[in-house]
Amino acid sequence: MIAPGHKGNIGRPVRRREDSYLLRGEGRFLDDIAEPKDTLFLGFVMSPHARAEIRGIDASEALALDGVVAVYTAEQMSRLTKPVHTVIDFPGYRGTPRPILADKVVRFVGEHVAVVVAEDAYAAQDAIDLVAVDYDLLDATVTLEQADQPAAPLVHDEVPGNVMFESTFATDSFEETFQAGELVVRERFRKGRVAGVPLEPRGCLAILDHVADSLVFYTSTQIPHLVRTALADLLGLPEPKVRVVTPEVGGGFGTKAQFYTEEVATAAIALDLRRPVKWVQDRREELLTSIHARDHIIELEAAIDATGRIKALRAEIVTNAGAYSTYPFGCSLETTGAARMLVGPYDIRHYAYRARSVTTNTCPSGAYRGVGQPSGFMAMEGLMDRIGRKLGIDPAEVRLRNVVKAHQLPYTNVLGVRYDTGSYEECLRRAMVLADYEGFRARQAAAGDSGEILRGIGICNFTEVSGAGSAGWRVRGLTKVPGFDSAVVRIEPSGQITLQVSQAAAGQGHLTTFAQVLSDYIGARAEDVFVAEGDTASAPYGTNTFASRSAVAGGGAVIKAAETLGRKIRRIAAYLLEVELDQVELRDSRAILVDGSDRGVSFREVAEVAYSMSGTPLPQGESYGLEALEIYDPPLATWANAVHIAAVAVDRRTGAVTIEDYVIVHDCGRVINPMIVAGQIHGGTAQGIGEALMEEIVYDPEGQLLNANLLDYLMPTAQDIPDYKLDHIESPSTDALGGFKGVGEGGVIGAVPAVTNAVADALARVGANINRTPLRPSYLLREIDRAAARS
Amino acid sequence: MSEQQGRQRVDVTLSINGKSYTRHVEPRRLLADFIRHDVGMKATHIGCEHGVCGVCTVRIDGRTARSCLHFAVALQGHEIETVEGLSADGRLERLQQAFHEEHALQCGFCTPAVLLTAEEFLAENPSPSDSDIRAALSNNLCRCTGYTNIVKAIARASGREGEAASSGTGDAS
Repeated sequence: MIAPGHKGNIGRPVRRREDSYLLRGEGRFLDDIAEPKDTLFLGFVMSPHARAEIRGIDASEALALDGVVAVYTAEQMSRLTKPVHTVIDFPGYRGTPRPILADKVVRFVGEHVAVVVAEDAYAAQDAIDLVAVDYDLLDATVTLEQADQPAAPLVHDEVPGNVMFESTFATDSFEETFQAGELVVRERFRKGRVAGVPLEPRGCLAILDHVADSLVFYTSTQIPHLVRTALADLLGLPEPKVRVVTPEVGGGFGTKAQFYTEEVATAAIALDLRRPVKWVQDRREELLTSIHARDHIIELEAAIDATGRIKALRAEIVTNAGAYSTYPFGCSLETTGAARMLVGPYDIRHYAYRARSVTTNTCPSGAYRGVGQPSGFMAMEGLMDRIGRKLGIDPAEVRLRNVVKAHQLPYTNVLGVRYDTGSYEECLRRAMVLADYEGFRARQAAAGDSGEILRGIGICNFTEVSGAGSAGWRVRGLTKVPGFDSAVVRIEPSGQITLQVSQAAAGQGHLTTFAQVLSDYIGARAEDVFVAEGDTASAPYGTNTFASRSAVAGGGAVIKAAETLGRKIRRIAAYLLEVELDQVELRDSRAILVDGSDRGVSFREVAEVAYSMSGTPLPQGESYGLEALEIYDPPLATWANAVHIAAVAVDRRTGAVTIEDYVIVHDCGRVINPMIVAGQIHGGTAQGIGEALMEEIVYDPEGQLLNANLLDYLMPTAQDIPDYKLDHIESPSTDALGGFKGVGEGGVIGAVPAVTNAVADALARVGANINRTPLRPSYLLREIDRAAARS
Repeated sequence: MSEQQGRQRVDVTLSINGKSYTRHVEPRRLLADFIRHDVGMKATHIGCEHGVCGVCTVRIDGRTARSCLHFAVALQGHEIETVEGLSADGRLERLQQAFHEEHALQCGFCTPAVLLTAEEFLAENPSPSDSDIRAALSNNLCRCTGYTNIVKAIARASGREGEAASSGTGDAS
């Protein structure tokens, strides 16, 4: 409880506790953990072919190398572990198990065929090249466009047509409504394939704790509890005997919210050889095998009236799952993510979609920051611009005519999903002022279309799904994603407070923000609160950290635990102070009288009684200890929203794009720490700018990944990122405890469409139609030339 | 490479942060691995092992360099410096404080390398513009912060408010 008049820690830009050790270089990431002296190192032998049969593997040369201890192939590995099998409980899903090492068939370049175990990491690398694998090459299915064609080779025999997931939806009388529309506007959008590319590659270290006869498993992950449950299941271990620990995690972005086959192999080999085993990925492996993302086609078709109001919207969505359905989110997350989210902040009453996920001989795709939404809003917001162009109405005005208005909230969208609060129109209007939108349009019109520099402005007005509870995951069929999170608050005998949360940060500043939340809700000084997370031996079970869920789910759990423990503190304090319970409030780590007299007892004094370390006994009926565990299951989802507006200049001679102005107005409900919120938005927006302008995973027609290094996989540097004008609106959630909404993904969701629309706006002036990303100079020049040839 | 050559080891003596370390390692041992795994200083991280991301940045004879692109054996007689050394002698303090104030780090994996780049840059450019800072920073990838707050922090450490800091309304800093 927050005492009346108390100036809280929530809402303040509290500087981070994490910084002091990270700035000294003392952050301990996976590869910084000092491994035991007898540790063995793994090297994975990767398939150089996209699709082939394995005729044989000869490891004799590798085994003869000094320092090599063992080589495992599918034959040995299959005796140690089950394959990873992602079960999605949703009609139209056809997942297939993935063996830990490829068994008879390889399905993408980089798939593991064998694993070398050596005394040091250099020897393991040498030995990889000495494992001779005899392949029988097969034709591969590589692209999205190719996958469902009749002639396409099947990636899995048991997946007909390479369609791993298919889902359809239509509102009642959709077709009649669509046909009754006065005009139809349609476009096909092609979103390129990208990857999350955290600067710390993945890795893990398995150590057998012989005293406890258990497995201690350090891994660079966002989902320690889900890894523990999955590892125990696949390896046939008692779950209590598996302890998963996340050290500092050097960026995740969803890339590390997946459970990976290397984790299983590392643990399995440690158990088999009874030695510590370590594996650290190099960058090439990271780009070849860590989940990829996007690679979508979204075709939208809107029936509109003459004012630009959308009467009915149809979406045809195809996403590229890659070779296997990933765990725990499966191949349907991106697909349904795009289909279910793209209606966004708009008041659309008739909607139909067909969404499919196709399997190809490429790296499996997974849940990278934004999941489905950057593509979904690239399409939806691109369509808004096209409606404007078709009708001669400014695209901002088209949005204002379709957006859900404040008086309509709470609003249930066309999919039956509730938006409790939001600021869809207000964000847009404020962003337009900050961007001097009208002024830009006037200058743009005055400049004409004949110069060497074409200028354009692009808007993305979007919702960001966040903090999904169990209902949100069940509705999408994900059975291995619980949805709740939890917190244990314990006041120690010293009076200091330990907070254990079920999250696992990768740079989000949880040690700081959860202390802000707890200190306010339990009436403690922030400096008395100590936050810990990421170790399954001490942290309570939960869904961990991805999908912008920590503030909502973890924050709610902290509030509940604070309230439960706060009641006990007040009961004991009331007894000690000999007053009624309602005469006691908690403030500054003390239980004090509400009468303003400042008479009270400190948490320490209460703790001494609770821990039986004082002459005063506990009140009758009270139990020893000062600890509370609470679990919070958020609503189906909470909905943040924001508007990004980008203004760009495109050099029509070179195709180079310069971002000249960038405005963000966002609303993530009640803000815990505005400094950290801004940081999340900055970082996400930079990733979105990268995704829009330069980032792309490129496979050749044979399924070779052509840019598995950071020279060729371009990511933005400081020189590619503009200064932002950033403004906040706070519409606290009324459905989620604490009023928090998530903010982890909005940056990338807003940036991809805003930048794409800005470039498309600039080039529309010379008749070019820009509908794909990345917006590389070569692509833009080609479209400019094609437009010139048409005119 | 034959097996015999693969396992050959030599004594390598390196001066790191003013102290001398001798280790028996393979001639192909990378400087980054020598510092991290043979000496045990873990502030220098490894991000790509092909010289692009800048996460493994150290100083060699006072100049920033990629420790993943150098063999340890070739650097005998040279002075190596890492963030541990610069932190200990207080040279980094102003930058570290500015990074803290401006929230210029998130996961912190690239941070030691960014600090080394920034320290060298400020020594040579005491009054940089934001665009100077952005140019210098383009040597180092950061995937979390989007660079905005790093630019502000370096500007702050140079004794002025970053231009980025003044733009926008309500942006906490």
